[in-house]
Amino acid sequence: MSDGDYDYLIKFLALGDSGVGKTSLLYQYTDDKFNSKFITTVGIDFREKRVVYRANGPDGISGRGQRIHLQLWDTAGQERFRSLTTAFFRDAMGFLLLFDLTNEQSFLNVRNWLSQLQTHAYCENPDIVLCGNKSDLEDQRTVKEEEAKELAEKYGIPYFETSAANGANVSKAVETLLDLIMKRMERNLGKDKYQQNFIRASALH
Amino acid sequence: MGDKPIWEQIGSSFVQHYYQLFDTDRTHLGAIYIDASCLTWEGQQFQGKAAIVEKLSSLPFQKIQHSITAQDHQPTPDSCILSMVVGQLKADEDPIMGFHQMFLLKNINDAWVCTNDMFRLALHNFG
Repeated sequence: MSDGDYDYLIKFLALGDSGVGKTSLLYQYTDDKFNSKFITTVGIDFREKRVVYRANGPDGISGRGQRIHLQLWDTAGQERFRSLTTAFFRDAMGFLLLFDLTNEQSFLNVRNWLSQLQTHAYCENPDIVLCGNKSDLEDQRTVKEEEAKELAEKYGIPYFETSAANGANVSKAVETLLDLIMKRMERNLGKDKYQQNFIRASALH
Repeated sequence: MGDKPIWEQIGSSFVQHYYQLFDTDRTHLGAIYIDASCLTWEGQQFQGKAAIVEKLSSLPFQKIQHSITAQDHQPTPDSCILSMVVGQLKADEDPIMGFHQMFLLKNINDAWVCTNDMFRLALHNFG
């Protein structure tokens, strides 16, 4: 899986309060499975997936496919014991910010996560996709879709209602984030520190 | 069967008491510290009973369970006891994590108190 046969290595971080379903969502994305029991975290715990990215050219014709090696990182739950440090955010190019649609507090904390991201991420306006997770638990929902959309709009980030349990919108959320990253790279290619970050991350492998 | 050295007995009963308090009601942990006590929690320093209790009480989890894997105890030249604990913990519904903790215990007026306490999660790849 980790052989060097790809064009880009891209690292994403899943963030959000404990219990919102970060691990399950990543698991659903990489393995198309939902594990309702918790997955014990031993050593390095990131998930990987290979995807092919096709950018649409200005003429609307699809360009050559680029082979992307996606690394999806999760926390181990250490944020309960200390605040996450800059080192944790290092080399992450995109962020999946999750809250739980059945847990109002996790939605209120989205603002805190966004401000942490501004402090620790490689730049002040990193690419983020907001996910309201557990959309399958409709009868337990406490966060309205409009409220979440409003917040996402205010911060200028895409919003999806996802379900790690049935897979709804999970791929779409990750692919939207990848699309944002690839577009940013095309814009910035070769000219700023984003590119250097990117090269550094690739060299890690 | 020979008795365990006294520092082993004191150290291990302290450790048992400490985690039992921590897991049931950590706001009561003040009883084991004094105003000169130091706590280093994940690199963050606290001094004094009040500051330590406030830190431990305000940790953002409802439930916590500690499981001790191993513990070692030594007597120090100034009659204190140095203890090291390696274990695992589970906070609320989070994944199980390893941790290390060290205590320096001192006998003051016939009671053992903790003068120094250092805690770290055993995580190596999460920054």
